[in-house]
Amino acid sequence: MIKMFRWRAVSFLLLCLVLLIGGWVLLGDWLVKRGIEAGGSGVLGTEVDVGWLKLRTGASAVEMKRLEIADPHNPLRNVLEAAHLVVDLAALPALEKKVVIDRMELTGLRFGTVRARPARPADANSSAGQLLAETKQWAQQFKAPLLALTPIDTIKSLVMDPAQLGTIKAANALVASTDSTREALEVAFTSLKVDPILDSAKALTARLKGANPSSLGLQGTVEAASSVKRTLDQISGARQQVVGFEKTATSGIDNLTQGLKGLDDARQKDYAFARELLKLPSFDAPNIGAALFGQQSTDVFQQALYYAQIAQKYIPPGLQPWRRSAPRQLRMAGTTVQFPRENHYPTFLLRDGRLGFSLGGDTTASGFSAVVSGLTTEPAIYGKPATFSASGDISGAHPLGIRMAGLLDHVRKVPLDSVQATVTGVRLPSIALPGLPFGVDPGTGSVEFSFSLQGDRIGGRWEIASSHAVWKSDSSKAGHLSTVENVLWQVVSGLSDLRVGAELGGTVRAPTLSVHSNLDAALAARLQTLVGDQAAKGEAKARAAVDRLVDEKVGPVKTKITGLQSDVAGRLGLQKQQLDEVQKQLESQLRTLTGGLNLPKIKL
Amino acid sequence: MLTLLKLLQSIFQTLHSEGTPRQVAAGIALGACLGLTPLLNAHNLGIFSAIALLNVSFGGGMLGWALFTPLGFLLDPLFDRIGHGLLDAESLRPLWTAWFNTPLVPFSNFNNTVVLGSLVAWIGLAVPIYFGARVGVAHYRATWGEKVLQ
Repeated sequence: MIKMFRWRAVSFLLLCLVLLIGGWVLLGDWLVKRGIEAGGSGVLGTEVDVGWLKLRTGASAVEMKRLEIADPHNPLRNVLEAAHLVVDLAALPALEKKVVIDRMELTGLRFGTVRARPARPADANSSAGQLLAETKQWAQQFKAPLLALTPIDTIKSLVMDPAQLGTIKAANALVASTDSTREALEVAFTSLKVDPILDSAKALTARLKGANPSSLGLQGTVEAASSVKRTLDQISGARQQVVGFEKTATSGIDNLTQGLKGLDDARQKDYAFARELLKLPSFDAPNIGAALFGQQSTDVFQQALYYAQIAQKYIPPGLQPWRRSAPRQLRMAGTTVQFPRENHYPTFLLRDGRLGFSLGGDTTASGFSAVVSGLTTEPAIYGKPATFSASGDISGAHPLGIRMAGLLDHVRKVPLDSVQATVTGVRLPSIALPGLPFGVDPGTGSVEFSFSLQGDRIGGRWEIASSHAVWKSDSSKAGHLSTVENVLWQVVSGLSDLRVGAELGGTVRAPTLSVHSNLDAALAARLQTLVGDQAAKGEAKARAAVDRLVDEKVGPVKTKITGLQSDVAGRLGLQKQQLDEVQKQLESQLRTLTGGLNLPKIKL
Repeated sequence: MLTLLKLLQSIFQTLHSEGTPRQVAAGIALGACLGLTPLLNAHNLGIFSAIALLNVSFGGGMLGWALFTPLGFLLDPLFDRIGHGLLDAESLRPLWTAWFNTPLVPFSNFNNTVVLGSLVAWIGLAVPIYFGARVGVAHYRATWGEKVLQ
């Protein structure tokens, strides 16, 4: 009989187990470190590095040093850097492969630090990579035209594709509409059947011509009078039909006339489009704000939207199974599905996080603290929104203050993510003005920021203010500034106050952004004076180019509508006139037959 | 090339080992799990222990692993679909939810579409693999085996 078990193998398996344990002791820290780096990178779409990690199995804790999270939008910068991090884990959830952090302490947190080497970009096919591309695409729609300061008279001739013009599209639609209206009116006119009534009335008139009661006799007179009255009733009915048709025709033609007005509106938009193609400078104050500082404000909101969308992606509301791509491996990774259950542990939960951080130039002063609580991947289980707040002040020669509060409320049906922050006394980054050979170093100032995303609704405000701004021109181009650039430089270089703000609104799909600064009005006035004439020439050029294409289409449409209008008026006029004439004749004959007496109602 | 030669050598060693066709076939059927399913998962610890502990051909197990690994790679898209079908099935959701929230079970990665799909596929194929291998080994030994040894 063959033995079922090979007991000798137990020692072999024990050896394997010892090797496994030994491997874990030797490599466990490294494996967890790699796991955190890979997982963090996958979620955030950027490189996450952990300098050192130690698992403290006995204490259910993990200790890390030099945690760096690169900026997904700038590979040369870290979004944050933490010098030291201690995570106390709950042991029981760990048995279910869940991470429940009872307490986390981060110290030496710094923001916006320069990286020693560029960060690896996110995999374009990963969900974070796709989200990054989507938010970049989203920000593109706010791309404000540069302040085009080249002389206007160098404008190249404008070549446009007629298909790009809204007026052409609207005119084509109006032609089709005119044709269908004409056909409909034609059918309605034919169905009036006025001509047979007119013919019958005319025939009756001819038959009774010269007739009188004495020639017709009593019976003949009564019958003739009845015929006349019947025909008069038919004429009255026909007139009502004609009036009804007139109303229908008038309404149809009114619609077409409205369409013609719509063409004028479309033409105005086409003028704007042509102006854009010519890159004519628009020196209205709001445009100047957007051209000078649009990029900065867009960058800020783009980043906020990116993180908010990551939060919405990884913190789904409700308790439905949650699918996510598994980490990449040699074989196909597949999809990992999580099955949350009420009154159980969520897959990830940070109950209480304490953060100590530095801001500004003095990174040794950790005068700031922040608290994060209730951050979880299954808020429906936890039952409370995640909140975070930060505050702190440093007094002295360079006072610095921060007030910040945020909320990730995914407990509700439509998730709400919001953040509000005010930082005072912070060193603001330099701003290069796009398309211009100078920029501004705002120095120390304040930043206010708020952002919210609720479902598709988006809102935000960003403001920076400084009273020590220093303007700097590109030294290599200092001697070659154009006249307009010189004027700009004269306006801005004397200003030390800088206030820039932006408001975001609308929906993610159709957002609105307005950017303003304290420079807008002053610059607009100077520039409009300087280039007013040339801008007018360019405007005329753009209009002429549009008119040349549009008139070819709009002229015939107008003619068609006018033709239809006069045709309808002519036909209706003729019908009405004929009805009037024959009615008069019949009434006259009726008077002759009745001798001016009203006949009793005769049952016909 | 060297890998292929080693594989051929392993095939011949196993076919000419002292194990009965049943032992070799059982080893191949168990080893198929190591090849068909993603290796670094908890269930494969159990399978490896079974190959070592049970009186099946260890060489057969390693042969099954080697033979079915390329097939596993090839069939991953199919396993993914099977896994999706199972994990998305409404009727099975209570079971998955219970497993997902049971200590240690989630470490099996049963909630990954490829892992679950390939494991289920292996469970379905294990018996046919066993019988196919048993017939194949017996046939080989009765016909070609003698000639190869000579």
